[in-house]
Amino acid sequence: MIKHHRPSPAHPKRVVILGASGFVARDLARHLAEPGIETITVGSASVDLLSPESVAQLRSVIRAEDSLVITSALTPEKGKDERTFMKNLTMVAHICALFENARCAHVVYLSSDAVYDDSTALVSETTPRTGLGLYGLMHAAREEMLRFASNNAKIPLCVVRPCAIYGAGDTHNSYGPNRFMRTAIRDRKITLFGNGEERRDHIYIKDTSRFLALCLEHQTEGAVNIVTGNAVSFYELAQRIIRLCPHQVQLECLPRATPITHRHFDTSLRLKEFPSFHCTPLEVGLAEAFNGLQSRS
Amino acid sequence: MIGFAGLSHLGISYSLATAAKGFEVVAFHSSAGLVADLGRGKFPIEEPGLAELFTANQKRILFTASAADLSACELVFVSLDVKTDDANRSDTTPLCELLRQITPHLPKGCTLVLLSQVNPGFTRKLCENFLPQSLAVKVFYQVETLIFGRAVERALHPERYMVGAADPDQPLPELFRRWHASFGCPVLVMRYESAELAKIAINLFLVSTVSTTNTLSELCEKIGADWSEIAPALRLDKRIGPHAYLSPGLGIAGGNLERDLMTVKQLAGEHGCEAGVIEAWLLNSRYSRDWVLRKIHALVLANKEDPTLVLWGLAYKPNTHSTKNSPALALIDALAAFTKMAYDPQATLDAKTYPRLRLASSPLEACRGGDALVVMTPWPEFAKIEPAEIQESMKGNVLIDPFGALNETACVEAGLAYHRLGVSIGECVL
Repeated sequence: MIKHHRPSPAHPKRVVILGASGFVARDLARHLAEPGIETITVGSASVDLLSPESVAQLRSVIRAEDSLVITSALTPEKGKDERTFMKNLTMVAHICALFENARCAHVVYLSSDAVYDDSTALVSETTPRTGLGLYGLMHAAREEMLRFASNNAKIPLCVVRPCAIYGAGDTHNSYGPNRFMRTAIRDRKITLFGNGEERRDHIYIKDTSRFLALCLEHQTEGAVNIVTGNAVSFYELAQRIIRLCPHQVQLECLPRATPITHRHFDTSLRLKEFPSFHCTPLEVGLAEAFNGLQSRS
Repeated sequence: MIGFAGLSHLGISYSLATAAKGFEVVAFHSSAGLVADLGRGKFPIEEPGLAELFTANQKRILFTASAADLSACELVFVSLDVKTDDANRSDTTPLCELLRQITPHLPKGCTLVLLSQVNPGFTRKLCENFLPQSLAVKVFYQVETLIFGRAVERALHPERYMVGAADPDQPLPELFRRWHASFGCPVLVMRYESAELAKIAINLFLVSTVSTTNTLSELCEKIGADWSEIAPALRLDKRIGPHAYLSPGLGIAGGNLERDLMTVKQLAGEHGCEAGVIEAWLLNSRYSRDWVLRKIHALVLANKEDPTLVLWGLAYKPNTHSTKNSPALALIDALAAFTKMAYDPQATLDAKTYPRLRLASSPLEACRGGDALVVMTPWPEFAKIEPAEIQESMKGNVLIDPFGALNETACVEAGLAYHRLGVSIGECVL
């Protein structure tokens, strides 16, 4: 269930983004700066969300009219164990503690499609959040923690669940378009598991930022997936990237460690609630991301 | 004399069908205005053959707003349709009120037959807790299988009757038997709860077929198959049958099937039965309903700013004015931000309550200047319109015809980009 508290979009007064150095935070700040929306980013160097002092520190930063975007999380590369899980919950517990005696106008939480397990053929926002491992369960638990706290504080909460995000500024190197592009440029090689049969949805970073901005402008409340609705196989993705390369790229297939699973999304909710939003076609997004990565390398 | 209490869709159709079989009928409803209208042959519902049925049999039917007129009836049918709320749950309050109104006027020892859509357990509770024992009323529940748009045909020519009784081994009362005999179809007598559940069972089997059809027709679109080539083969399979619901559609609508799904979900919850399939059917229905929305986004909205969208049909199916859970209304809501023109032969909307919607007085008027046409209800009259005239009236050429109401070949020849359920267009993804 989605509710737009501002049916006609309007710029938020000020946006505070937690997780300053992350892929999404940096691109969102860039996107919000274009129309001149006042934005501040808060990173772990200035406010360490793992520390109890972060509650008071945040209180001194956040104003009642602010929109708060939470992108801070320890991603699976930083650990997949129970300690990382607990650290991630601690970070959000401190944000929830902030809401006990401080207000802001709107909270947007950047969650993940990992909240859904991989047994469902077609995922929508109503798919049970049984979680893909501890990382998925962590996001599901954080969503509930924030829902409870924001409910008590009467602050509208928007949960945005992206699929895998790709783009030139990616700080991660997980299996998918970003890694494929990097290795295609650097090593002239792309490595697939099996024959790359799995179909997945990939969202372009600029689309993610545009969508988050839309949620901020509408002061949206509820949970929504930010996905394209067009899943492609890793093999097809690799082939598209190979076609972008000016040089020969070797496609290497390693034995797969896990069974083939696919993930497709039903985008009906987004189409209804954000009818003017359209995703960048994959070939356009990949070409932009590839050019960006090439110029960086 | 046979009485009917409650003159909604069900009561109007059944009371006139009973008069058509030569019985004298008293038809009661508490609304004097409705009764006056019915007496003049003015009906609040649209059904093929209803006006003719009234004209031929009006001398044998008395429409009355006085419950006391039922006191002359040896057999009384309670025929008020039970409405559902937004969550598709039955609201039996008006039915209970009707029963309270008529009970004092029922003759001692009469036969009372409940036709209204009630949940399992309702009829037995009615006997045990509601009706005074001193009346010695013999209570039965009879399954109605009214289909909107075919109500007269179904009331005059039923496939069979299913009757719930306190004691199925006892013979039915004589007038009730005579009434059944006049329709010349099999009568199956069973206990109350079985009959109440039988109605739900029929609807759930329909839903299972509809859901299976919709699932497979979407798969057809993805793998390069055409569901219309497969369905005839299924109809020849004795286990499926020639009348199975094998036409792909936009989910379940109308309210009755949804009500029964909710009832079974609720009963399964109360009694601890596995009923996960119900949730799957509901999910499948919601997903199927949004097929047109997904098409419009992919074919029109992603390519054109501020297009004009044309909708033919608002009713949830042809030959009815009902828009209950209609996919057309859901689509209009989802496209609130865009300009829309709509036409329906029977169903109307208060256009002011829907942003950027205008109603047209003819299908072609609706098309004028449109970028895309969507046929949301497959009214037969739409098939008579020349595709070339559609194309001439429109600015764009996208035609989304989920049910295949128009002739695909003629539409393509006229230059329309034709899309229907269950068939892949262009490159398939394998």
